[in-house]
Amino acid sequence: MSNDTLLEVNDLKVHFPAGRAGAFGQRLTVHAVDGVSFRVPRQSTFGIVGESGSGKSTTAQAIMRLAPITAGNIRLGETDLTTLRGDALRKARRHFQMIFQDPYSALNPRRRAGDLIREPLDLLEVGSADDRAERLESLLRVVGLPPEAAMLFPHQFSGGQRQRLVIARALSTQPDLIVCDEPVSALDVAIQAQILNLLKRLQRDHGLTYVFISHDLGVVQYLCDQIAVMYLGQIVEQAPSAQLFAGPRHPYTWSLMTAAAPPGGLRQSLKQRFSLRGEPPSPINPPAGCRFAARCPFADERCRKETPQLSVAGSGHFVACHKTEEVSAAGRSIMAAA
Amino acid sequence: MNTAPPVPPALTPANETVAIVRISPLRETFRLFVQNPTGMIGACLFGMILLLTLFGPTLYEIDPFDIAGAPFTSPDAEYWFGTDYLGRDILAGILVGGRATLTVGAVAAIITLAIGIAMGSLSGFFGGMLDTTLMKITEFFQVLPTLLFAMVLVTLFGASLQTITLAIGVVSWTGVARLTRAEFLRIRELDYVKAATAAGAGSSYTILRVILPNALPPIIVAAAFAIGISILFEGGMSFLGLGDPNVMSWGMMIGQNRNYALDAWWVVVMPGAAIFLAVLSISLIGDGINDALNPRLRKR
Amino acid sequence: MSAILDIKNLTVTLQQSPGVVPVLENLSFSVKAGKTIALVGESGCGKSMTALAIMGLLPDGFQIAGGSIALEGQDVAKLPGDALRQLRGNRMSMIFQEPMTALNPVYTVGDQISEALRLHQGLSRQTARERAIAMLRAVQIPAPERRIDAYPHQLSGGMRQRVMIAMALACRPRLLIADEPTTALDVTVQAQIFDLLREMQQDIGTAIVLITHDLSAVADITDEVAVLYAGRCIEQGPTATILNQPQHPYTRGLIASVPHLRLGLAAAQPSEALEEIPGMVPGLGKRGPLCGFAPRCRYSAGPCLEAPPPTTGTGSHQVACWHPQGEAA
Repeated sequence: MSNDTLLEVNDLKVHFPAGRAGAFGQRLTVHAVDGVSFRVPRQSTFGIVGESGSGKSTTAQAIMRLAPITAGNIRLGETDLTTLRGDALRKARRHFQMIFQDPYSALNPRRRAGDLIREPLDLLEVGSADDRAERLESLLRVVGLPPEAAMLFPHQFSGGQRQRLVIARALSTQPDLIVCDEPVSALDVAIQAQILNLLKRLQRDHGLTYVFISHDLGVVQYLCDQIAVMYLGQIVEQAPSAQLFAGPRHPYTWSLMTAAAPPGGLRQSLKQRFSLRGEPPSPINPPAGCRFAARCPFADERCRKETPQLSVAGSGHFVACHKTEEVSAAGRSIMAAA
Repeated sequence: MNTAPPVPPALTPANETVAIVRISPLRETFRLFVQNPTGMIGACLFGMILLLTLFGPTLYEIDPFDIAGAPFTSPDAEYWFGTDYLGRDILAGILVGGRATLTVGAVAAIITLAIGIAMGSLSGFFGGMLDTTLMKITEFFQVLPTLLFAMVLVTLFGASLQTITLAIGVVSWTGVARLTRAEFLRIRELDYVKAATAAGAGSSYTILRVILPNALPPIIVAAAFAIGISILFEGGMSFLGLGDPNVMSWGMMIGQNRNYALDAWWVVVMPGAAIFLAVLSISLIGDGINDALNPRLRKR
Repeated sequence: MSAILDIKNLTVTLQQSPGVVPVLENLSFSVKAGKTIALVGESGCGKSMTALAIMGLLPDGFQIAGGSIALEGQDVAKLPGDALRQLRGNRMSMIFQEPMTALNPVYTVGDQISEALRLHQGLSRQTARERAIAMLRAVQIPAPERRIDAYPHQLSGGMRQRVMIAMALACRPRLLIADEPTTALDVTVQAQIFDLLREMQQDIGTAIVLITHDLSAVADITDEVAVLYAGRCIEQGPTATILNQPQHPYTRGLIASVPHLRLGLAAAQPSEALEEIPGMVPGLGKRGPLCGFAPRCRYSAGPCLEAPPPTTGTGSHQVACWHPQGEAA
């Protein structure tokens, strides 16, 4: 493990039982995350994009040790998070914190904002009482809230202000890693920009490392250095941001880009080639072969039988697709015509 | 464009920051409760009953066990509520008996809540085998006929006020346990509970400081009704002759006089009315708290 | 061609304890048959309230205090409840953001589509069922003969929204109001739903009022855009004009605050800083007669703080601002 890697996820699997098919039927298992590996360098942002059921949020929760890990391991710096239990895990939590999607449900409605922000400090017994009070004041300032805000209850804040509270709370223990699970998707567009800029500034000022989960490619491009695209519990493509958006190699990445492309001629011609039919299938007992084959405009017999492995497609660029040459060529010709 | 604003013109403050009003959820609930007519009628009624019970006996100095006059004297200027089959003053009985009745109600309700919340929160929070075991125990208590079970307990351990109170508490906690468990199951999945775990909270902190305060509203309402039900329960037990004969209580008055109810209505109607008013006032308070906790529900 | 929906100076107020508070003020717009207008703005701007006012479904305490809502020349704002019920689901209908809560979980989707047909068009049970199957086929639900007997929870999110569209369009309404119809769906499914809406619109000739907070997502299917801010329309015009030459600082901010995807060669350049609009929408009752955006606006000065902004503009592009920003800014 190189020195500047902060987070390393190796072959992570999270499976949930989902009852049986009928009273005496076969046991059903949700393969929420099914063999995911990646590394996140210090002070960078690693984006994970995908649709519902892709396992991106479960991956985030597994890193936070909030979801049960079936197999694989997660290393933060020198620590193997997967083996930590009880008090050791609790103590380790000061090094990794989380920003939740919905600021309306992520704050305990019965506690004052100040108590909520310093709760991690109190629980993990970081610093003296005076230190914590001081830290609270500076945290509020850092996220752009007045000191009086500490006395208020969550319901007295707007959505954007609540998300600032959630961010302040995540920052309180001076963690190395912050996992952001769709931190702006519940907010109004004008407020989204405020929060995204705040996250960017905090990263620069505090040397933070982010794992950033989102379904919005525009947001991911704005914030992330590396991006992994997930589909049904697996990474189908991963590349540095600039490289990915310059020329994706997986048909699913192309279809996500099509949906997010600015309106106009390019979007129309991309749609002709890459738009998808149907919806993501259920992650319960997923099909053999390429999991994307059922919706893929390029799929053939081989795709339905043989599972494509994630393989190198350029420097730092990985893709899991049998038809990647054909897909890239189709994409390139459309982009060139535009 | 003609703008005719119906409100006086006022500029919105630049960069509208947080309004610095300290409203705690508790104080807000209290404010809503005070504004709620149902709850306030209940509170006033209960307040009166409480005052009469506390200070009545010192103002009306007649021993409720003393034979004060002729048996079955109907209510008149001297004996406002009449006398019972032994000629004891019913008003004195009601004033003194309130203490025992209300204490039984309150203590039994506390026992109900303590057992119910403990069972429900452990079961709802940890789930799995513990949940299955605790819920089987709860079901066992639920299928027992409560009155019969309480009677068995009292017969076994003697008809003192303490055992009666304990018996009532022991047979009536199942509802609270189920309610608490349901609330824990719901709240356990909310993001702020995950957030607490991510912040380093252990199990006891999460149960006591994070989930329980948020689960309390329906439990508080259940507590109010539990007091009312316990009072009725005590009345019912005494009516069946299982009251503590050495302590004056409303239930005991009804129980001892029940055979004469058709000849002298007041001997049971007077203590019965006391029980009715007490239970009614507590129910109204419960409704009031319920409305105050769900202001949106109230508007409909 | 005359307009299907013609709203003039619509004002909606809320009765509150201190008095009457305006929610929508002097809103005017119209939609022709087969055309789509998008109502854009942050939450709290009055988008959804406009939809509810048109449908006659304003919540308790809200009332139409002035102006008119003409549906094919008939003022629905003045219609009694019975007459409105006749219109709803028949000549005008609505689809909602979250199809799971808008569909009744205890009836099959077939029952729910047929209900409107039997109620408004007096069809027999059998004919209504056949029409319902035809509608499900029209919204591209595979195996409609089987799916018609499915319950809402047996369908995926995208399917449910298709069912909602089938329900809303079953009686071939003249006007369809779509309140953020794709917000709850996955991005690759959103495009499918918008395509479907446009196809159905061309087939039936329905006028659509599309409520959204994301202008660029709907740009392909809308003809006109009205930007709402704090209960007032602050800019209105053809979609391309609003998107490419917005004049109101709020519209410009709204467009600039969304990170736009850069593809191909543009992807190699580093992201530019996102423009943010400071503060938030003023609450109800905190809106004076002046420009509601002035406190958040970087151009606000002089007249902005003295008098309501004038509405200016050329042709169909109208803007209510003291300092409309031309191409230069």
